[in-house]
Amino acid sequence: MIGDYFIIALRHLGKKRLRLLLTVLGIAIGVAAVIGTVSLGEGIRYNAVETIKTQSDLTLVTVHPGVSGNTVQLISSSRISEIQNFPHVVGAEGITRDTYATARQTFIPVMGIDSVSEGGLLNLRYSRGRPFSTGSLEVVAGYRLAEKIQRFEGIRLGDDFVVTIREYDASGKPVDTELDLDLVGVLQERGDSLDETLLVDRGAATAARNEEPSYDSILVRVDSPEEISGLIDRISALQLEATGAFEQIESVNRLMDMVVLLLALFAVISLVVGALMIMNTMMTSVYERVREIGITMAVGASDRDVISLILSECVLIGAAGGIMGDLFGMAFAALINTAGRSFILSRLGDEFAVLFGTEIARVTPSLLIAGLVVSILLAVISGLYPAVKAARLNPVDAIRSGG
Amino acid sequence: MAANSGALIEIDSISKRYNETVRALDNVSFSVEGGEFLTIVGRSGSGKSTLLYIIGGLDHPTGGEIRISGNATNFADRDALVRLRRKKVGFVFQQFNLLPAMTAADNVAYPLLFHRRPLQERCARAEELLGLVGLADRADHYPAELSGGEQQRVAIARALVADPPIVLADEPTGNLDSRTSSEIYQLLRDVNREQGTTFLVVTHERDLATFSDRSIELLDGRVVS
Repeated sequence: MIGDYFIIALRHLGKKRLRLLLTVLGIAIGVAAVIGTVSLGEGIRYNAVETIKTQSDLTLVTVHPGVSGNTVQLISSSRISEIQNFPHVVGAEGITRDTYATARQTFIPVMGIDSVSEGGLLNLRYSRGRPFSTGSLEVVAGYRLAEKIQRFEGIRLGDDFVVTIREYDASGKPVDTELDLDLVGVLQERGDSLDETLLVDRGAATAARNEEPSYDSILVRVDSPEEISGLIDRISALQLEATGAFEQIESVNRLMDMVVLLLALFAVISLVVGALMIMNTMMTSVYERVREIGITMAVGASDRDVISLILSECVLIGAAGGIMGDLFGMAFAALINTAGRSFILSRLGDEFAVLFGTEIARVTPSLLIAGLVVSILLAVISGLYPAVKAARLNPVDAIRSGG
Repeated sequence: MAANSGALIEIDSISKRYNETVRALDNVSFSVEGGEFLTIVGRSGSGKSTLLYIIGGLDHPTGGEIRISGNATNFADRDALVRLRRKKVGFVFQQFNLLPAMTAADNVAYPLLFHRRPLQERCARAEELLGLVGLADRADHYPAELSGGEQQRVAIARALVADPPIVLADEPTGNLDSRTSSEIYQLLRDVNREQGTTFLVVTHERDLATFSDRSIELLDGRVVS
C-alpha cells in the first residue's frame, strides 16, 4: 500500500521536474553543509586522538589516593592486589614519589619502584646501561634527565653522585640527609614524564627517608585502550583517582564536541532554509492540485490517505535531497582532503601536519546515514502542514475549483 | 416519505442554506428504488448538484436526513462519510475530473487503492471496466490524449470500479456534443440495465430525461414535479 503511494507521489513529482530539482537541491545543500562541517570537525578530532595514541602510553593508568568528603583513601597493598584482579588488568604495581636535590640544587623527580627490568609494567627500554639491582642505591635516569644532569652536573653513566633529601624534624626545622647514588642505566626517549624521572629501588628510597614502606600511587596496565573507561569506573568505585594519557583524549573530545556543535549549528541554518523550500513547494503543489485532492476524496480517500499521499512526496524529496546531500558532502570532504589540506598546512605551518593526517575531513557511514535520515525527517515535518491543510479541504469546493 | 418504504435511497426533508436568505435546497424529499435510473432536471442554480453531493457524502445538509438502505448518513462522522464514498457511491462529473498524471487504466484503478486492494487485482479490474466502456485499447493513454467522450467513459469506468450500488452523475454530458452525449447516456443506461446499478443523473437537458425511468424537477431548491 505504501509502495503504491510512492508510485503515485513519483508521478506527481515527475510532472514538475525543475521545481523538484530546485527543492531537492535546496535540502541537499543543507545536508552537504552539515556533512561537510561535521566531517571536518570529526576528522580533526580523529587525527588529534590518533596523534595522542601514537605519542602516549594509553594503556597505562596512574591511581592516586582519593579524597571523598573528609576522608582520604590511601594506597595499600590490599588495594593493589584488588586492582590487580580487575578484568583486563595486565599488572598493577605500587610506587613512591619523591624529589631529590643535586649538589647544584637541581631538583629531580624520583619514582620509587620495585623493578626496572627491560619491558615490564612500564615497558622500559634502555638506551644505555642496565637496570638497578634490588635493595641497592643504584638508579636509572630517564632520557632527558640523563642529558640534563650530564650537561649541568657532569654526571655520566656509571658515575657516583650525591643527592640531598630534605626532611623536617619534630620542631619543623629542615634536616638534610645526603645519599650516594650510582647511575647504572639510561632509558630510551618515551615522550612522557618518565623522560624527566629518576628511577630508584622503592625499598631503598623509603629506607633513605627512614619511613615505613608505603605507596604514593599505583601504576596499572590494561590490555587495550578500549578497556580504560571500565577500569576508571572501578577505580572511582574504590574512591581512588585515576590519571593518564586517556585524559588528553577526553579533553580533545570535549573541545571537539564544542567545535563540531558550533560548526554544525551554522550548517543547520542552511538545512532550515531547505526545509522552508520544501514547505513552500508542497504548499504550492497542494494549492495547484486542490481539485485533484477533491477528486481523490470523492473516490473514497480518507483524510489520512490524503496526508499519506502528500507525505509520500515529501519522503521522496527528502530521500533524494539526503542522497544528493551525502554525495555533495563526500565531494566537499574529498576537496578538503586534497586541495584544502595543502592550503591549510601552508598557512598553519608544518608543525600542524600531525594534526591533519592523510585526511582532514572524515566522512563516516553513520554520518551519511544521519544526513539521509535528517533530510527525510525534515521533509516530512515540512510537509505536515500542507498535508493536513489538503486533508481539511472541503471536497465540494475543491472539486469545483479551477485548480 | 415513509421511513420504512424499503427504498434504496430515502431523501427526507433535506435543506441546504448558505445563510438566512440563500437556500440551495428547501425541504426536498423523494426516494429512489434500487436499480432505478432517475434524472434530476432543473436550471443551473436549482440546487440539483448540491443534492447529489449531499447524497454522496461530499457535502453536508443543514437539515433533514438521507437514508441509504435504511441507514441514516451521519454527516458529523468523517470516517462514516469516507466509508459511504468508498462503498456505496461512484461519482461522474461534468468536467470528467480525471487525474492528469495517470493513465486511463490508473485513473480507473485509483479508487481501489483506498480499498486496500492488491495491485494485480486493481489492474485486472481496471482492464475489465475499460473493456466495459469500450476503451480497452486506450488503457495506457493519458487523459490529455483522449477525446472528451473517451475521458467521460474512463470516468464512468472509475465510478463503477468498486462496484457501488449507486452512481451519482453530475451533468455527465454537459461538456460533450449531442452525439457523444447520447452515446454516454446509452452507456449509463446499459450499465443500469445489465448490472442493476442505481443511477441518479443531474442534467439541465430535458430531452435526455427521456432515457430515464423517472425524472424529478427541481426549481429554486424545491421539487416541483
